[in-house]
Amino acid sequence: MGQTILTVSELKTFYRTRLKENVHAVDGVSFTLEEGKILGIAGESGCGKSTLALSVMGFYFPPLNFKSGSIVIDGIDIMKLSREDLRTKVLGEEIAYIPQSAMNALNPTKRVGKFIEDILREHRPGLSQEQMQRLAAERFEILNLPTRALTAYPNELSGGMKQRVVIATSTILNPKVLIADEPTSALDVSSQKIAIKLLKSLLAKGFVKSMLFITHELPLLKHVADDVMIMYAGQIVERGRIDEVIFKPMHPYAQALMGSIIVPESDIRGHRLSSIPGAPPNLKNEMKGCRFADRCIHTVDECRKEEIPERARGERTIRCLFDFDYQSEETAHERR
Amino acid sequence: MNSYLKYFLKKFGWYLLTLVVAITLNFFLPRMIKGNPVSVIVSAMSQGMSDVNAQKKLYESYMHQFGLDKPLFQQYLIYFQNILHGDFGVSFGNYPRRVSNILASAIPWTLGLQIPAILIGWLLGNLLGAFTAYKKGVFDKIIFPAALFVNSMPFFALSIIMLYVFGLHLKWFPIGGGYGYQMIPNLSLSFIGSVLQHHFLPFISIVLVAIGGQAIGMRSMSIYELNSDYVLYAKLMGIRDSRVVRYVFRNAVLPQVTGLALSIGTMISGALITEIVFNYPGIGTWLFTAIRTLDFPLISGCTLMITLAVLAANFTIEIIYGLIDPRVKATQMEGQ
Repeated sequence: MGQTILTVSELKTFYRTRLKENVHAVDGVSFTLEEGKILGIAGESGCGKSTLALSVMGFYFPPLNFKSGSIVIDGIDIMKLSREDLRTKVLGEEIAYIPQSAMNALNPTKRVGKFIEDILREHRPGLSQEQMQRLAAERFEILNLPTRALTAYPNELSGGMKQRVVIATSTILNPKVLIADEPTSALDVSSQKIAIKLLKSLLAKGFVKSMLFITHELPLLKHVADDVMIMYAGQIVERGRIDEVIFKPMHPYAQALMGSIIVPESDIRGHRLSSIPGAPPNLKNEMKGCRFADRCIHTVDECRKEEIPERARGERTIRCLFDFDYQSEETAHERR
Repeated sequence: MNSYLKYFLKKFGWYLLTLVVAITLNFFLPRMIKGNPVSVIVSAMSQGMSDVNAQKKLYESYMHQFGLDKPLFQQYLIYFQNILHGDFGVSFGNYPRRVSNILASAIPWTLGLQIPAILIGWLLGNLLGAFTAYKKGVFDKIIFPAALFVNSMPFFALSIIMLYVFGLHLKWFPIGGGYGYQMIPNLSLSFIGSVLQHHFLPFISIVLVAIGGQAIGMRSMSIYELNSDYVLYAKLMGIRDSRVVRYVFRNAVLPQVTGLALSIGTMISGALITEIVFNYPGIGTWLFTAIRTLDFPLISGCTLMITLAVLAANFTIEIIYGLIDPRVKATQMEGQ
């Protein structure tokens, strides 16, 4: 086991709407991230993946608010730091972020190199402009990105190039943790492959120590992550090794999720894709019991009584009272 | 050749064509007004004169003097030729004063009133808009509706209200003219003081209307930009708020520059009405008098100046726009 880099425990964050309602988007999430590892987070849209990504950064601005929990990077609880310390010493330095839509992540009226200079100016105030430019150019060269991208405006770059530029920019300060929020979702398949190769090379070259990879594309995750957490309604419902979770999910939600995805295996012909009936619950309401109860085919009264704790099952952890084994879609249909 | 220069020249050609069309309209439109300016002058001069022949002689000599005895199209050609030589002819109403002489005396007043008022109104409006978007709260709830209210008021209505309240009722400011009646223009302190005093009310009424319109546009643009992905990304890379606000301002102000180009025509014509209300010795007041006395050369001269101002302002803004927004520059060059 590698050294633990990031420990998140019982993190709870919420959105405050304009009507003063609280939406509990991340509701008690705990996990650890080890050196050299890529941890995947998967779930359907609206389950809190992106909010979790933002929450782990520790830097909150409205409407997102921090409620409780801790985020420890290399022994320091970043939630105990002042906002200014957090901004100058943690963001970009310890933990960096790749936004969901890298297409729009760059300021359209700023040259890429100038933006990198702005970042360096915040964190490395001693550097001269020339040194900053050299640093950026060196990094781009190591990562096989054209240095002409530094003098370009974002609109002069292709989508795939923009994404790679954002990845390089995010990691310019060698952060320990990199949070990539759907870094490939707007790209075509070949650009996706290049972007993922780039992310992996960052880890291999030691520019980042660990990575949190958020996606809704499970087949993609299979090629990227070591471990995976399945999220539903702000909670982790199942976690384990990626191939185990993908091919033999244990939580009914994870099972339903996998059943709704084409996994290109040999006997794919003749398979019928199923969808999960209903929609995720409204997170404004205080909830008791299992959040998936309304949509689950196995629900019994007990499910709704009290909060379901996470429990170990083999090498995995699940948030379900029962032990269900994964069945093929046909059998699941017959049961209904 | 440099493609940007090409673009510049092409644009310039189009503006030149617009100018020719405008000059033509400037010539024909006033002459379509019913009535004959010479008969007005002759009837005023020949009061008490009983000799019909003498009256006829006077009429004909004026017709000849003003060139009105020639066919309209020939008059047009002569007019066009004279304009190319910088000769705007002789004013009918202020005979034998030359139109160029009247314009030269009026233009400094108009420019001195309008350029600072429009630019300051534009700048203050944009700052106010950005500020309300960023601060929200009181600014957004009180100042913004106030700006909206002032903006929806026509120029002349606001001018008349200002004139009534501060000029007539409170007697804080003089009610008209460019300087005190008893004064002769010179560079003494008392004269400059009088000019500033007379300048204040018309200036403020133009500024107030401009602020309103700009603030409304800027507020919504800024809100849009504040929610954009590059703002989130820049903040999460640890870039300080003041710098992020600068990113936002620059991007939000771009459409406002176009807005200025679009509204500069309306602004100038609105400001002309303000001049009339305050009896300010600028182009607007002269134009008003000229229309009442069917003083064709003076009308054409005034409208030509206004056309030139609007075209020049639009051309400048178009060029500036290409310089401040790389995306616009790219499109400008692509068109070649």
